[in-house]
Amino acid sequence: MPPVIDAGKCSRCGLCAAICPLGVFEQTERKTVPAVRYGEECWHCNACRLDCPSGAITLRIPLNYQLLHTDASQLHR
Amino acid sequence: MIQLAKTLHADVLVAGGGIGGLCAAIAAAEGGARVILLEKADTRRSGSGATGNDHFACYYPPQHGDDMEVIVRELLDSMLGPFHDAALSRRFLKESIGMVERWHSWGINMKPFGDEYKFMGHAFPDRPRIFLKYDGHNQKAALTKQAVKSGVTILNHLPVVELLRNDDGVCGVLALDVSTPEPAFVTALAPRVILATGSASRLYSPAGTPGWLFNTAFCPACTGAAQAQAWRIGARLVNMEFPNRHAGPKFFARAGKSTWIGVYRYPDGEQLGPFVSRATREVGDITCDVWNSSFSDLIMNGRGPAYLDCSATSAEDLAFMREGMISEGLTGLLDYMDAHGIDPARHAVEFMQYEPHLIGRGLEIDIDGQTSVPGLYAAGDMVGNVRADIAGAAVYGWIAGRHAAGGLPGGTPATPDAGVVRRHQEFYSSFLRRPGGASWKEANMGLQQIMNDYAAAGPHRVRSASLLTAGLAYMRTLRRNAEEHLSAANAHELLRVVETLDLMDNGEAVMHAALERKESRGMHLRSDFTFTNPLLADKFLTIRREEGGAVIKEWRRRMN
Repeated sequence: MPPVIDAGKCSRCGLCAAICPLGVFEQTERKTVPAVRYGEECWHCNACRLDCPSGAITLRIPLNYQLLHTDASQLHR
Repeated sequence: MIQLAKTLHADVLVAGGGIGGLCAAIAAAEGGARVILLEKADTRRSGSGATGNDHFACYYPPQHGDDMEVIVRELLDSMLGPFHDAALSRRFLKESIGMVERWHSWGINMKPFGDEYKFMGHAFPDRPRIFLKYDGHNQKAALTKQAVKSGVTILNHLPVVELLRNDDGVCGVLALDVSTPEPAFVTALAPRVILATGSASRLYSPAGTPGWLFNTAFCPACTGAAQAQAWRIGARLVNMEFPNRHAGPKFFARAGKSTWIGVYRYPDGEQLGPFVSRATREVGDITCDVWNSSFSDLIMNGRGPAYLDCSATSAEDLAFMREGMISEGLTGLLDYMDAHGIDPARHAVEFMQYEPHLIGRGLEIDIDGQTSVPGLYAAGDMVGNVRADIAGAAVYGWIAGRHAAGGLPGGTPATPDAGVVRRHQEFYSSFLRRPGGASWKEANMGLQQIMNDYAAAGPHRVRSASLLTAGLAYMRTLRRNAEEHLSAANAHELLRVVETLDLMDNGEAVMHAALERKESRGMHLRSDFTFTNPLLADKFLTIRREEGGAVIKEWRRRMN
């Protein structure tokens, strides 16, 4: 679900779990890789990705959030 | 029962650590008060300003001239404008540049283009621009740092769930510690409480992705907590009947539409609006601020979709736009566009109108930010009679904080009725690990279903006395079932239960107010009163709930 943590890069600091506005992560024990417990509640604000000190987080945007677009040249035929 | 972990004492309590709450807390602390701020998540990244903002409504005489009334008119004509007590708008504008200067000194870059303030965007051609362009990517961290420096005690993961009052006014709050899976209660007592919990998202189904409750333009953790809690202790709400609908890219809901520099077009290339044929960083296409329903209209009449086309924007302005999107906090969207090869220079992005949410509708405040309950203040998106988004939250937060810290009562602090506190504790405790219970999501979606169908917002959807009356009855049934059956496995889920119940109060208040306004105005469309009544043009409708549950609706003149 939306945030994806690369466990190999994660420093286990727990900052993502602390700062997530939606409480998506859960770190039950200190110095462990947080679990993405409530992925469906992600707002995709990117706070975790921006603040992760080891660059271990990416967001996986759900398929149905598809950003609808067209070639702009189609509008100027 | 969930245990009461501790009782705290302060001069001023602040509920919510977004822009309004942090600015209120700093002002109160600098005014000499002992301040505790209670925040649902973490003030470094919470609320609708979590990852940034790039425009701050402001009156700056060297740019705008000495006649502030020109800027008052501009504010009231803008998308922020329709429901202001203009006396509050003037107070806001007068104090706005002082707030800008404070923010700059606290490490938020209000002058990203050099030595001078620059005003851009959100404007009609040839009219004054009231939005200061700034770089707010670090605004939450900077305000948090300043609050700590000013002596504010910040308690994260401790949302307020109930306000406590006595005959004299507010006297404290009941909060829920959600920092661990096992919840605990905390009571905090103070003669002054400032509410700053933001808008009410999740009241209607997300227009683009129904069923995905968290795909909202504004923060989905903002669930009308202050409006609901204040309503429950009898505070007056105002303008609740008027829906507000934001717009932006489809289907990825995100605020910040005016950070895009482009022109809105029909699929055949024709422009939607008459304002500009080529957008620049100075003047963008304001069509959808003026023709708010445009994107919905084009879907309903078959002429859509509506696109935002940035392909004629200069390369320099596109680079500027990208920087603006980072300042605005749109990096999640930018990452997505980069990963999927969506380039505004080559691709036009479809825009849509999002579902209604409450912003600039809610608590009625006076010129000092105080609500109708003595000692209780409100600032930010949940205020119903003045609105200026980030700037409004900051400036009115500051005004409220300063006023709350002045003239604190002496003597023994008031205490709430112990029986009332205990009843609240028992009520919320009843949801924890209830066997065979229902999920908060069922109740939240049930609420959205009722709001979608029985308190619908325009365009193309109507309200009526029979629909609203039915909606209120359905909501009562849903609430009864929710109170009886909802179950939470841990603190996180209990917080979602609390939010859902707060949203039900918001929904009921909306329906009561919508019943009373017997005319059509804005997106409040009544099939039984299809006309706009000029006699109601300058009338505000306030509602409050008495202790026994009776809803009192009162009309008053708008303050000029």
